[in-house]
Amino acid sequence: MFLDPESRLYKQLTPVLFLLPAMAIYLVFALYPTFSVIEYSFTDWDGISPERDYIGLANYERLFSDRIFWEAFRNTFVWSGVIIAINVGLGLVLAAMLARVWKGRLVIQTAIVLPVVISPIAVATIWRWMYQPTGVINQVLELVGLGGLATPWLGNPDVVLYALAIAHAWSTLGLGVIIFLAGLQAVDEDLYEAARIDGATALQSFRHVTLPALRPVTAVVFILTLTQSFKVFDIVWATTQGGPIRFSEILSTYMYKRGALENEYGYGAAIGVSLLVIVSLATLVYMQIEGREER
Amino acid sequence: MIGRYTLALVLGVIAVLMVSPLVLTLFTSLKPTTELVNPAWYPPADLTFEHYARVWSDGGFSRYFFNTVVISLVDAVAMVLIASMAAYALVFVDFRGKMVVKFLLLLGLMIPVTAIILPLYSIVRSVGLLNTHLGVIFSDLALAVSIFVFMFTSYFVGIPRALHEAARIDGATEFQTYRRVVMPIATPAIVTTALLEFLFSWNDLLLRLLLLPRDEMRTLSVGLLNFQGVMTRDVTGLSAGTVIMAVPVVLLFLLFQRQFVRGMTQGAVK
Repeated sequence: MFLDPESRLYKQLTPVLFLLPAMAIYLVFALYPTFSVIEYSFTDWDGISPERDYIGLANYERLFSDRIFWEAFRNTFVWSGVIIAINVGLGLVLAAMLARVWKGRLVIQTAIVLPVVISPIAVATIWRWMYQPTGVINQVLELVGLGGLATPWLGNPDVVLYALAIAHAWSTLGLGVIIFLAGLQAVDEDLYEAARIDGATALQSFRHVTLPALRPVTAVVFILTLTQSFKVFDIVWATTQGGPIRFSEILSTYMYKRGALENEYGYGAAIGVSLLVIVSLATLVYMQIEGREER
Repeated sequence: MIGRYTLALVLGVIAVLMVSPLVLTLFTSLKPTTELVNPAWYPPADLTFEHYARVWSDGGFSRYFFNTVVISLVDAVAMVLIASMAAYALVFVDFRGKMVVKFLLLLGLMIPVTAIILPLYSIVRSVGLLNTHLGVIFSDLALAVSIFVFMFTSYFVGIPRALHEAARIDGATEFQTYRRVVMPIATPAIVTTALLEFLFSWNDLLLRLLLLPRDEMRTLSVGLLNFQGVMTRDVTGLSAGTVIMAVPVVLLFLLFQRQFVRGMTQGAVK
């Protein structure tokens, strides 16, 4: 180094140089767009023309009376409900079962976690194929004598949202399972021992020992899954693009259509801000719980 | 104990169900078109690789694959560098404004990519990086750097401060200490960061869809999406494309499962 390491300038410059690459990229490509999405949401910009006017809260007023926005909002919450039920409910049960199995545990765990690394676009491709009217889901239903339930899953307005949410749950379940497993490993073995001496059945010790001990972890998986459902885009975009009609429209696809495809940039930004607010609040709660656990 | 075998059986069935979509896709990608009339769970009787050859050359997947590898590798290496350096300053160097930097980075954990893609597009275009891999790489790094800075920070906090002090007293500069003392013992954090960032980068669709409109720049994710739109009925081609996209990350996962699991439980926010 050409600077004297003991000089004042060197000491002041060091942290700057260490932080500069990360912070420069972060400020330009993450923080700045976050503030501009808020700014754009107060304009009527179309995304192309040089001029844009500030129109105050007009975009937000429009959101409140936009029926499609509320449909997308509702659909996003239904989506959350489905994947939370599966990731938290089934995730917890699977983790508790896995924790009691020794032989073949790694193989089973690998199989359950593997879908987590599959790209959402690949998930969409796979499930779109399985959901086809002549696809494997309907083939299996015929085979087991439930042919009456067969339906064009992604073309049926009543089931399309649930069908896609299940595909998403398939690809995120493993994450819930490994977080629960990590939580289970922290549960005091003596508690199980005590429960067994008191004559508790496996189910009773699950209810009275496992569940209370896992409450913070459950909250983590809950919020994590919630935020995941608000970030979904790929799975819907690559399958139905929100259709048929609007039956699988979620906030992200609606925002993309308005903002990127229909040149209603300002309005799309307002939808983006609504996503930002929901996810930020949920993440704040998540960090609260995580922080409390670490202490 | 009663039920241990029942338990294993139930879990076994669930495990089979969980991997079956992947296995069925693999089967389909290897079947001659004439075998498509069979139920999907029939393994291919005659193995064929013609669908792979078709999407690889005619479908453009060779270029998509190459683009994806380049972007993901650069992402992974750059992320390790910038996140570890920032974390080093936050943990080992005293400076004013540290709280401000930490707070700004904390905001990054709360930003969903989906919400900010519109202005991100404008910025990437205005700095002239639209249709370049660099534009995607910068965006990837920016949107995940917070997670990895905190991952490195929590690892560095566990390194005895005496080690850092000793190096400094011996006359090493901060940069030498970072490179020769701290980084060599930070292998677990480095591996986890590289693997996770590679995975995020490999799998992302939205940013690439928006920032790489030109076909020759595209990645596997956009390629697969387009192929799906154009060749809706080409089931075997789509399966082969899906397998091409999945195989590298599946292999990585099988090789580094422990590191992935640790990283995913830590960096779960993304």
